[in-house]
Amino acid sequence: MVEQKVVEPEYLLLEAPRERKFITGSQAFAEAIKRANVDIAIAYPITPQSETMHLVGDLWAQGYVKDYYRAEEEYGAMSAIAGAVRGGARAFSATSGPGLLRGLEAIVSWPGHRIPAVLGVMTRVVNAPLSIQPDNVEIAYLLHSGLIVLHAENQQDVFDFTLAGFPISEKVDVYLPVVVATEGFFVTHAKGYVNLPPEDMKLPPRDPYKAPVPPTDCEIPPARIQRDAPVQKSNFMSYLIHAVWQQEVWSANERARKWIKHYLGGLIEVVNPEAEVFIVASGCAAAQGREAQRYAEMEGLNVGLVKVKSIRPFPKQELREVLKKAKAIIVPEHNIVGWLCKEVKAVVPDGDRVVEGPRVYGGMTLPVELIMDEIYRVLGVKKEKKTLV
Amino acid sequence: MAEKKLITPGPAGYIPKPAAFLGVDTPPPGKALLYGEMIDEETAMREAAKAMLTRRNPTIFPGPLVLWGWNSGAIEKAQAVLELAKEIPNCRIIPMPDYRPKYPKIDPEAEINPNHPNLTILHNKIEACIFVGVHCHYANLSLRMIRAGTNCFTIALCAEMGHEDAMVSLRDVHAGDILRFRDVVVEVRRELGIEWEPKLPPENPSLPKEEWTSVSPLDFGEYAYLLMPRRGEIVEETE
Amino acid sequence: MGLEYVKISPGFERYMPRDYVDLVKMGQFGKEVDVMQLGQFKELVEDHPMCAGCYMAYFIRIFYASLPNPEDTIILGTAGCARLALSQAAVPFIYGNYGDTNAVASGLKRALTIRFPDKHKDVVVIAGDGGLMDIGFGMTMHSWFRREKFTTIMVDNEVYGNTGGQESGMSPKGIQLKMAPKGKQFDKINAVELAKTAGCVYVAKLSPTNPKRISKVIRRAILAARHFGPTFIHAYTSCNIEYSIPTREVLADARNREKKDFKFYEWMTDEVREFFEEMEKKQKEEVRS
Repeated sequence: MVEQKVVEPEYLLLEAPRERKFITGSQAFAEAIKRANVDIAIAYPITPQSETMHLVGDLWAQGYVKDYYRAEEEYGAMSAIAGAVRGGARAFSATSGPGLLRGLEAIVSWPGHRIPAVLGVMTRVVNAPLSIQPDNVEIAYLLHSGLIVLHAENQQDVFDFTLAGFPISEKVDVYLPVVVATEGFFVTHAKGYVNLPPEDMKLPPRDPYKAPVPPTDCEIPPARIQRDAPVQKSNFMSYLIHAVWQQEVWSANERARKWIKHYLGGLIEVVNPEAEVFIVASGCAAAQGREAQRYAEMEGLNVGLVKVKSIRPFPKQELREVLKKAKAIIVPEHNIVGWLCKEVKAVVPDGDRVVEGPRVYGGMTLPVELIMDEIYRVLGVKKEKKTLV
Repeated sequence: MAEKKLITPGPAGYIPKPAAFLGVDTPPPGKALLYGEMIDEETAMREAAKAMLTRRNPTIFPGPLVLWGWNSGAIEKAQAVLELAKEIPNCRIIPMPDYRPKYPKIDPEAEINPNHPNLTILHNKIEACIFVGVHCHYANLSLRMIRAGTNCFTIALCAEMGHEDAMVSLRDVHAGDILRFRDVVVEVRRELGIEWEPKLPPENPSLPKEEWTSVSPLDFGEYAYLLMPRRGEIVEETE
Repeated sequence: MGLEYVKISPGFERYMPRDYVDLVKMGQFGKEVDVMQLGQFKELVEDHPMCAGCYMAYFIRIFYASLPNPEDTIILGTAGCARLALSQAAVPFIYGNYGDTNAVASGLKRALTIRFPDKHKDVVVIAGDGGLMDIGFGMTMHSWFRREKFTTIMVDNEVYGNTGGQESGMSPKGIQLKMAPKGKQFDKINAVELAKTAGCVYVAKLSPTNPKRISKVIRRAILAARHFGPTFIHAYTSCNIEYSIPTREVLADARNREKKDFKFYEWMTDEVREFFEEMEKKQKEEVRS
């Protein structure tokens, strides 16, 4: 293990010199954890996130992570994360597809418990039928939970979002878990260029006393405490108590906007803001959208890209501003339900401008040609298609 | 002063929108919140002082981080709170010793609890209050419930980032800042022409009074065993 | 530091409500109390909404009076009846999702060990038969397989009391309860044997009729968990409502069960046995001197 010195998160994320490496998404997650001063990581096998947790286990064996174990299943893993974070530790875990759904009861209760942690979600098809291939319909299940959801486009995003996830989640006015989602295999097992800060630096340790709720460690009052008492309506509760608790979770979600801007440069990224047709996408679809925008530019078409980094909190104002004058909005996705499309349609005026697709799912890749077809269609460009028999 | 006051004393309704949904954000370091608008600390403190001096039944709600002397910072802060309480005319102190729901019924003159703060506010007809030393999460819950159901003016002296649901919210408040607020209170009191000799608020009504006309076993404290016979022991006479 | 956080700030003794002042002045923090002195000190548990005649409520009161170090103890509970009393005590209480007590306790104990390697932080799970043996079975057993160092206490009322009286895995065979209109079809789960096989270092089974015995068993379980591994107590705490036991007969019922299937049983590894012998020998010497 390399001796690491503690530096401020702003320095590590925004100012430190970076070196270019060619690594997989799983390695990018592990590189972020190496520099994140994590206390405990809890693992459970499920493809395609197992590689990430193997590497995090190696980090534990080397001394970068203080405790690590394989849990009995995802619900147990996520409940243990809640316990460890309440005890004052900084925690990380990862899961995929059916594993996410198995652990969902615990995961969706984290925001209400005010548990700051980072969860890696490496998307994979949700059963049935079974497949291990990438499909991000599982993110739709996280949208109503109150967690902060960041969707990484590539290996670089995976590193930055995971490392930034810790300071964002531990801000006193946020104190919510951060999900860093990315496509399984397309990002986790494929290699890409990642600029990494030096490995002899790490984030400051978590200070559990700088928090909106006390940790349960018998060191800080109050003693007589049930941090989150069962607040069913009763003669000794206000009828509003559960409602204001939920409002607190979603207010914290809103407050996270400024921190996402601070550490990640914004909730969206825009290429060619003067375009008349926009591709709005997140995750791998954004990478394909980026290629499509490049092809279109080469052909002289005025097409722009909006990459959505943060799914929750959703960049409502930013999208309304950018898409004000767009003639058409194309939303490519890696799932059948079109959760991103629904979100976009809900915030932009004149939703008929939104093209609901192209969508691929069940593990299929998203060829750039599919997006180009939509671009040609909305711009009225005729392209001859030759079919060779 | 703010043109459009977003967060004003209620009652705001059955289930009002929280301040964060209305676009109010926590203030940056060095600033404060007044009615949901970002403003300098001095103006916010003066408004808060005015509210505590002119509204009925001003009360300070100290939370566990002040009530329990778990480190020197807490003890210092506790002292500062008492100094502040001395300078507010007819001020009361009602503690929030912990966050669990009180069963079966809270004594609203003795304490306040974040699961049902409106009981204490309404029973005591409190129209201006200060929250200090309460963990942010529970302070936010209380502030929203108070704004929904009562006409109380809330002031939050936060050690961290502040509270958007209070009418006045100061951030990074430690013992020194509480004393600074106290000085503002004294100044505003003089400007308003209110006469007041510094005096500590009355004690908690649930504490037993010092009178010995009736004695109960509880008064014996650790000597209660003198009154309760052990198994097989026959007590013939007691003094 | 544990004791510091239950001291009232100077100046605020006259502003704290009475029960907190009593708790600090006449309570258990920092003192050695014997369960037989119950009634002469301010208990950790306050008013609670348990039913009249609930044996669990009695057990929980004895439990709190037996804690070796209440200022450094954290209790975990889950959905059920026990949490109604546990949430009203002056000891931090964690209440998560149903059945996750042992998983949360694993994470919590590990975090506390990382942060306070030189201190004893006692983690105790108190949950019912449904939470530990049905819905939480996997998490319970695996926390024992992993030899996590905390105490699990099952308050077994042989029914899902809090949800209205449904059959539980620990209900006796043949009993007619809700969701078992034709009577329970399979036997009562043998939790104690499962705990032994899974790797608990101290296992006890009792019907809580003798306060001194209850207190001794609880102390032993907590002290063994500090050093050796997971410990388990299976306590019979009847539900007088669902089993229609008149309140005045609840204690007789407990004594009755003690003669039948809840005979006092204690099992421990040799290491733990040696530890207790030494500890109790030292205590006797201290008392003598």
